[in-house]
Amino acid sequence: MMSSRERVEAALSHREGDRVPLDLGATSCSGIHVSSLYALRQALGLDEPGTPVRVCEPFQMLGEVTPDLLDRLGIDAVRVGLPNNIYGFANDDWKPWTTSDGTPVLVPGQFPTEPELNGDLYMYPKGDRSAPPCARMPASGFYFDSITRQEPIDEDHLDPADNLEEFAPVDDEALEHVRREATRLGATGRALIGEFGGTSFGDAAFVPGPTLAHPRGIRDLEQWYMSLANRPEYVKEVFERQCEIGLSNLQRIHAVVGDSLSAVFITGTDFGTQGGPMIGPKTYRALFQPVHARINDWIHAHTSWKTFIHSCGSIWRLLDDIADAGFDVLNPVQTSAADMTPQGLKDRYGDRITFWGGGIDTQRVLPFGTPEDVRAMVKERLQIFGAGGGFVFNTIHNVQARVPVANVVALYEAVDEFRAYPFADTAARSLATGRS
Amino acid sequence: MGQLEELRAAVVDGQKTTAVAKVTEALAAGLAPEKILQEGLIAAMGETGALYQAGEIFVPEMLVAARAMSAALAVLKPHLVAEGVPSRGKVVIGTVQGDLHDIGKNLVAMFLEGNGFEVVDLGVDVPPERFVAEVVNGAKAVALSALLTTTMVNMCDVISALVDANLREQVRVLVGGAPITTEYANEIGADGYARDASSAVELLCQLLEV
Repeated sequence: MMSSRERVEAALSHREGDRVPLDLGATSCSGIHVSSLYALRQALGLDEPGTPVRVCEPFQMLGEVTPDLLDRLGIDAVRVGLPNNIYGFANDDWKPWTTSDGTPVLVPGQFPTEPELNGDLYMYPKGDRSAPPCARMPASGFYFDSITRQEPIDEDHLDPADNLEEFAPVDDEALEHVRREATRLGATGRALIGEFGGTSFGDAAFVPGPTLAHPRGIRDLEQWYMSLANRPEYVKEVFERQCEIGLSNLQRIHAVVGDSLSAVFITGTDFGTQGGPMIGPKTYRALFQPVHARINDWIHAHTSWKTFIHSCGSIWRLLDDIADAGFDVLNPVQTSAADMTPQGLKDRYGDRITFWGGGIDTQRVLPFGTPEDVRAMVKERLQIFGAGGGFVFNTIHNVQARVPVANVVALYEAVDEFRAYPFADTAARSLATGRS
Repeated sequence: MGQLEELRAAVVDGQKTTAVAKVTEALAAGLAPEKILQEGLIAAMGETGALYQAGEIFVPEMLVAARAMSAALAVLKPHLVAEGVPSRGKVVIGTVQGDLHDIGKNLVAMFLEGNGFEVVDLGVDVPPERFVAEVVNGAKAVALSALLTTTMVNMCDVISALVDANLREQVRVLVGGAPITTEYANEIGADGYARDASSAVELLCQLLEV
């Protein structure tokens, strides 16, 4: 039997290992909402009723996938990251809180648990209550969303440095944290996925400046998207300088963790909408591809890491250029968006790109289908994406809140049932055609 | 190139300052405000929407065009009002309760406005009763947006609230947002689903027969 790391690396090298590797929680885009995690743990009998679960990523309210669940589900990958979360504070000093659907959770000490008069929760950058809030969770909501904090834009005096305040060298303390975590988690035999931020260019989660007390530059998302069309030189300059800082940080991180990482999460910028690409191929090639290629080229020249791009939506029309930028791994493979058919993706990109996601439709089937629907889709996706390796099973983006727990249980039961190589159908076909 | 053609080109190209200048020039030249609206702005929105649907322009270009249109419309509007040019109907739009996403919703609002509808934009995280209140105030259509699977279900609450207030028959409900489909619109009893801003305009014109 292969170790988890060997299994993931076989997939990343486009080889069939002993079974399709499985991820839950190794990146901020492949996890599970804390409410769904609580329900899953209860359904699996891992906890006494009422036992809280930890919120490890407060923006999307992701729950911490702990070793008991990793073992129970046979999860092969874990995350190595920096000590602070997206709002710039550490996940420590845990305190109890209850989500809008009544789930008992533990949240970091700096997480705001006292609602405003209207019931909303306001998040503060680095927990600093003297700054304007940077994010808001509606009273009935399950996630935070950024609050736009946009100073008036003076077109004649735009300074790219204003959009770079949050990008800084990784300090020694953070490096030591990364080194310790890589050593600790590496000893488990699981594949380590690095997620260090800083190389996600124009990412909607970060453009509003969630860690900054008083963000300057272009911080309103609508203005940011418009800038791709009407301020391209500004955006290009921001990206180039951000790229320098990002590369220097990757070098420093590589110096402490070496090749212990199997892959590194480079970018989470969404390039797709439900119906088509958010930006055109020309814009991708002019603004994003040069910096993506620089990062990927450096990593491939100096490390054994594979590089990971996350983009929601329909990106079929951008994928040639994304692959040419040198990415090895694509997530979340949103097959529910236009043109993103599983077989089409596998046929066209299966020899170049590892699909890390696409395992189940989280917009329709997982939240609104039956356990039988879930099982059928999981089986089909394993067969399509898993053929010949190049597939790490993951849901399409995080398992969201309000998902029936019976469907989540059915999901992992089906993965367990159908993930072993060689696939029965494939073996039968090989036998029939006399090919191995 | 004629003034209105230049206006249309400026809007499609997202040239806000030029678009405003062209509207001002057209008004000064004595062109009828309704003609400027129809042949300048509505034509520009139609062209922009068609380019988007054909995959020739994308979200950033749509946004700059819609912003240019809004700026030009702001100059034109007082003249339309003064001339007594009627709107094509009042529409109330918003992102449903619990959901804070608004870029797509804003685009739809700007496109509707640029196509001659009176738009009341209630913003994000809008409780059902606020939509109901606008229908009481004369809105002929309700446009609902949701990005999340956790909040799309809240569209039903708005429709139920309209039913409870005995207003459902007199108002058309259209829905949109990433996880929404025609099937979902049918399932919850909406009148239609629009996949993008210009489809929303077409659907609304069809539903309101304007």
